Amino acid sequence: MTLFHFGNCFALAYFPYFITYKCSGLSEYNAFWRCVQAGATYLFVQLCKMLFLATFFPTWEGGAGVYDFVGEFMKATVDLADLLGLHLVMSRNAGKGEYKIMVAAMGWATAELVMSRFLPLWVGARGIEFDWKYIQMSFDSNISLVHYIAMAAVVWMFTRYDLPKSFRLPVTVLLTLCVYKAFLMELFIHVFMLGSWTVLLVKAVLTGVISLCTLFLFVTLVHSN
Amino acid sequence: MFEEASEVFDNMFKSSFPLTFIVFIPAVLILVSPLPAEAAHEFTVYRMQQYDLQGQPYGTRNAILNTEARTVEAEVLSRRCVVMRLADFSYDKYQKALRQSAGAVVIILPKNMSAMPQDIVQQFMELEPEMLATETVVPVYFALEDDELLSIYSQTLTSSSSQGSLSAAEVLLHTATANGFQMVTSGAQSKAVSDWVITSLEGRLAGVGGEDLPTIVVVAHYDSFGVAPWLSYGADSNGSGVSMLLELARLFSKLYTYKRTHAAYNLLFFVSGGGKFNYQGTKRWLEDNLDHTDSSLLQDNVAFVLCLDTLGSGDSIYLHVSKPPKEGTPQYALLKELETVVASQHPEARFSMVHKKINLADDMLAWEHERFGIRRLPAFTLSHLPSHRSARRSSIMDVRSVSPSSHHGAGEPPAGPHVDVSKLSRNTKVVAEALARVIYNLTEKGAPGDLQIFTEQMQVQEEHLSAVVDWLTAQPRAAQLVDKDSSFVSTLEYHLGRYLKDVKRHYVKADKRDPEFVFYDQLKQTMNAYRVKPAIFDLLLAVCIAAYLGMMYLAIQNFAVLYSVVRRITQPKTKVH
Repeated sequence: MTLFHFGNCFALAYFPYFITYKCSGLSEYNAFWRCVQAGATYLFVQLCKMLFLATFFPTWEGGAGVYDFVGEFMKATVDLADLLGLHLVMSRNAGKGEYKIMVAAMGWATAELVMSRFLPLWVGARGIEFDWKYIQMSFDSNISLVHYIAMAAVVWMFTRYDLPKSFRLPVTVLLTLCVYKAFLMELFIHVFMLGSWTVLLVKAVLTGVISLCTLFLFVTLVHSN
Repeated sequence: MFEEASEVFDNMFKSSFPLTFIVFIPAVLILVSPLPAEAAHEFTVYRMQQYDLQGQPYGTRNAILNTEARTVEAEVLSRRCVVMRLADFSYDKYQKALRQSAGAVVIILPKNMSAMPQDIVQQFMELEPEMLATETVVPVYFALEDDELLSIYSQTLTSSSSQGSLSAAEVLLHTATANGFQMVTSGAQSKAVSDWVITSLEGRLAGVGGEDLPTIVVVAHYDSFGVAPWLSYGADSNGSGVSMLLELARLFSKLYTYKRTHAAYNLLFFVSGGGKFNYQGTKRWLEDNLDHTDSSLLQDNVAFVLCLDTLGSGDSIYLHVSKPPKEGTPQYALLKELETVVASQHPEARFSMVHKKINLADDMLAWEHERFGIRRLPAFTLSHLPSHRSARRSSIMDVRSVSPSSHHGAGEPPAGPHVDVSKLSRNTKVVAEALARVIYNLTEKGAPGDLQIFTEQMQVQEEHLSAVVDWLTAQPRAAQLVDKDSSFVSTLEYHLGRYLKDVKRHYVKADKRDPEFVFYDQLKQTMNAYRVKPAIFDLLLAVCIAAYLGMMYLAIQNFAVLYSVVRRITQPKTKVH
């Protein structure tokens, strides 16, 4: 609505990233450029995904109100590439498990913030018209941060050679949940006709659940050796 | 990360001045550049009239708007856009807005104006000329309502009427939840339109036998007038006049095609433009024909000029004259024939003559026949209105369709201006019969009063009249809007050409040095209503966000606590092993 409002939204979106970066001790490891590299990998992976989607998936020609479940499901499957990208980033960074996860997640999430949220905020939040969606977008970016940290942790756990057999199943389940979270959210919105704040709440809860489970598994894995 | 960034900034500040310029000024400019944003609602608004007539300015003077919306109940109205609905409109509220130097006034009109109760319609009609008479600097707009506009209005109403009566906590809550609206118009300040051309059309039916035949001129002006040019459809005034003229042209051209009924009178039909602006079309036409041409039908033998103005409803027919006709003249003959026809064929109608001297000291002439009277041509105007000052001649309420629910009682006609096609067709028949009796000299030949000529094949066709009135009222016909290239003029020309010969256009342009009329543009604009929040809201939001970020900071700082809790929970499993 004004520059001040833009400042509000920007602060809301960006400060948690900043705080996380500072408090997780990454700055002591000079991880800045590694995060930027992770961000560049994010861009590359998104580009490949877009090319793949554009080439192999036909445009949806159905009615406006009908939701193409199968089509969207297939599209969400392409998001597996995200996991591959995260794995790539983490494998190139030497260091402890936590370090790898945090670097990958921070870089990835910051790249997503800059690419997909900064421009709408810049264009929209500065105008005369006021809309709650910019605040919601900023909250959403916070939730994304937690989500990507959880996702990176799950990918890391999946690729560990010393993962106990009993953990395979929960880790795989969490992995699929991470990939299909967006698809699930769309499903909820269409089926239950949720309002925008409710959607945010559901997203936060879902992400919270995923990340708590991940945390449990991670702690168990790390401290069981 | 910040160290590197701060090094760059240090270099910039310490080193040469131009570097800072190159980096900072564009950044600042980009930051403060205004943005075109999507509006909550975009709608078309029609501005009140703005014109100068004979050097005298009328109507609203300004056109741009970028102000916050309020309704009349709010206490502070200055530099705000006052929004009111037609149903709540009253002259006091309008004056209050003007006195407090409001930024603009927007009047919301209901979609179906004919469904409004009659007293509101009447009141508004009376107020229209008053609104135009007081010259306002404030732009006045009219908008047709739709659901979004109504919701904007009701939200503005609740916020305006609750100002100044709340406690501080309520005000804070109010700012978070309520919406303010900022009204912004697109378009520039209004300027005078240069070289506007008013078009008029003429056509004739030549009489049979001889050179020096008397001429009867039938005139009607086609333009309409109202408080907003884009909303003035002029069904009765003067759509009824034009449709009657076209029907008379059709009937007499039919009579003139047969040798037996081809009379010894020239019939000249003139559809004039700029009628509501003191009959500019007629004035220039007369000047051109009488002063600048060697020979013209108007210079020779003119029997009389009959002007048709507002004949679409009511049961009275008035013949307005500036000089009562002397016996033995063709004008007197027409007067008598009209009396005869009405008395014997249509007794439900009342006919009378109204005598009003031409007053040259007045700003505006009363009726169109006065233009002819000034040039010493015998003329009169037929109308169902007793006085030229009637508000029905210049109201935006004069529209084609009138819903039955607005009638006072079952079967009673609505009180506002409207066109009743049966009345219009009866009036057309009266005029046609009277003209025929004069042209063919029927009374002297002994024809009875109730002899009807226009029956069966020669009948006045109601469907034709109705279709023409529908076509006329399908578009606003204000003089500022009918260009010489407009489809309206060409359709009218074509229509006249079907029945009449020598259909010609006549153009009027205002004089350069001393213009008789000046029109202004920006009569129709798009207004955007943006949802805005008050400045307090931003501060409130900043405080909330600061609190949230503080909590986030604490949570992340103490993440280790959560970590150890989880570790402790998972510990017992490993201890068992």
